[in-house]
Amino acid sequence: MSAPFGKVLIANRGEIAVRVIRACRELGSRTVAVFSDADRESLHVLLADEAVPIGAPPATESYLVIDKLIAAARATGAEAVHPGYGFLAENAKFAQACLDAGLTFIGPPPAAIRAMGDKMAARRVAIKMGVPVVPGTEQPLSDDAEAARVAERVGYPVMLKAALGGGGKGMRLVRAPGDLAGALRAARAEAGAAFGDAAVYIERYVEEPRHIEIQVLADAHGGVVYLGERECSIQRRHQKLVEESPSPFVTPEMRRRMGEAACRVAAAVGYVNAGTVEFLVDRERNFYFLEMNTRLQVEHPVTELVTGRDLVKDQLRIAAGEKLGFGQDDVTLHGWAIECRVNAEDPFASFIPSPGTVVGLRAPGGPWVRDDTGVYAGCTISRFYDTLMAKLIVWGPDREAAIARMARALGEYKVAGVQTTIPILQRIVAHPDFAAGRLSTGFMERLLATDRPEGAGRHRPIALIAAALTAYERAGRPAPAAPSPATTPGAWRQALRPGWRSR
Amino acid sequence: MKFEAQTGGETIPVEIAGADGRFTLTIAGERLAVDARETGEGIWSILLDGASYVADVTEQDGSYLVDIGGERYTIRVEEESRYIIRTRGAQGGERGQVLKAPMPGKVTLVAVTVGQAVAPGDGLVVLEAMKMENEFKAQVAGTVKEIRVAVGQPVNPGDVLVVIE
Repeated sequence: MSAPFGKVLIANRGEIAVRVIRACRELGSRTVAVFSDADRESLHVLLADEAVPIGAPPATESYLVIDKLIAAARATGAEAVHPGYGFLAENAKFAQACLDAGLTFIGPPPAAIRAMGDKMAARRVAIKMGVPVVPGTEQPLSDDAEAARVAERVGYPVMLKAALGGGGKGMRLVRAPGDLAGALRAARAEAGAAFGDAAVYIERYVEEPRHIEIQVLADAHGGVVYLGERECSIQRRHQKLVEESPSPFVTPEMRRRMGEAACRVAAAVGYVNAGTVEFLVDRERNFYFLEMNTRLQVEHPVTELVTGRDLVKDQLRIAAGEKLGFGQDDVTLHGWAIECRVNAEDPFASFIPSPGTVVGLRAPGGPWVRDDTGVYAGCTISRFYDTLMAKLIVWGPDREAAIARMARALGEYKVAGVQTTIPILQRIVAHPDFAAGRLSTGFMERLLATDRPEGAGRHRPIALIAAALTAYERAGRPAPAAPSPATTPGAWRQALRPGWRSR
Repeated sequence: MKFEAQTGGETIPVEIAGADGRFTLTIAGERLAVDARETGEGIWSILLDGASYVADVTEQDGSYLVDIGGERYTIRVEEESRYIIRTRGAQGGERGQVLKAPMPGKVTLVAVTVGQAVAPGDGLVVLEAMKMENEFKAQVAGTVKEIRVAVGQPVNPGDVLVVIE
């Protein structure tokens, strides 16, 4: 297969830039990384063929500056631009600017981004195509008084959402009228900072919903297929933590109906390239169109592992004008895949971000384990960007095997220097509700409510040894002195003894 | 070398001797032979009674955060002499809360004013870091004595934000 492009610029950073570089390299395309002053030593810069500095650490001065990215593409002679996810990935102006500069944008046409990027217009498209939606506003909220009126009309609890949003930014759940004003302020501030537009709208909140999305691929010749679903119900603060494909909740018949609805929405806006149609699913298996993400999703690897397709390569081929080369009947789901997001956050302290230097790192391996990472031992996780460090993805012939493999791989994953979500991910995959497939977006709230206090577990003696030895080594390891003679086995060890050997 | 380890409200005396991976620890009077290697910065391999463990150790605010098997321990380890000096000098009845920034970020909201009465759970300050808004709440009932930051101000870990009496 010949390379779809001679040279591709990746307008992103972190693990997704690494992911795209890997696909380009396998296809024989040369790669151009861009980097802010904070990212000179980031992995994507180290792996690319060329790298162009684009400015100061804040994204608004680097990764979000269209002119700098276009200039970098021109200066390096790149023919195409891959936007990754986040940053400018769903910015129609950026897609248009690429086209105006004679570059291929590896994503949908600007008009499709615009049609789906306005979440309220997207709802209208879905309604027109006969796809059910959650009740709410069709226009952005003009002021707090209108917000209060709309919230009363659709009924509490309500969900505030950024009109140009995605990825949980600018979203707030409001359970009572008294919380509305504060939530609006926070949602607008986040939306403004993340998307450059503070517009917010309201939807009725579906209680205990599942978040299930359909991957679609469309070529420029009218071919549209769906590649099954991903269940992304394990979320915290509307940020996904664990995703899987297929969903334990979706029946073959439901998959077909959701898939066909997703393809109708994509076709209605002239969609080309990879996209994802997100649905809320209630307890009765009714599904409601939420939005369409006009880009590659963070969680795309689980679809890759069950379909055997490389979605980034498909994106590149489609952008180069190739036909899909396969039809819906050729898509079969094989086995089960699960992804866990390893974020630099402290799950024992309300998930506060934990930027810093990754002083120690050991990633898991073994059969059917994939580590899509943007970090390495010695690298620094900057406070300027989001907290995603790596995605751990496993495959198994069935869900039970995949869960066991994920538990095994998480146990092997060692990170020192920054706090990560690994401990909470271990608790999620070990939870009986997770094993039983009883998932909903309220799962994390319930899990955290039953949280064990820290420091009460069976590994306490080993933790104490590790901490004391660290202090001892740091103190410069003075000349050994004879320790005081051992006394009778103390109550300390007796009490903890049962935990010594069981792991 | 003698240490005092504090964790979960307990203070446990620890004495350590040895080097190059072979250590003798006397913990609360019981002596243990431990084979321990720091296999990566902060990643300890520990062999004890034939069992193999791996613990991740990160320093934060003068304590060690130890992650092992999905569990987390916050352990403060001090040399015995330092511990004695610190605890003898401590004044009794510490109340109130000194809210410090746990991470670098930017202040996006200060929700209280000096002199204001607060109850546990009341929002004090919102810090923006890594594209997320993080709200910090009062842990005690009291009065806001000092506010040391303003909206828009960048802060570093350990910076005092608000003092409650």
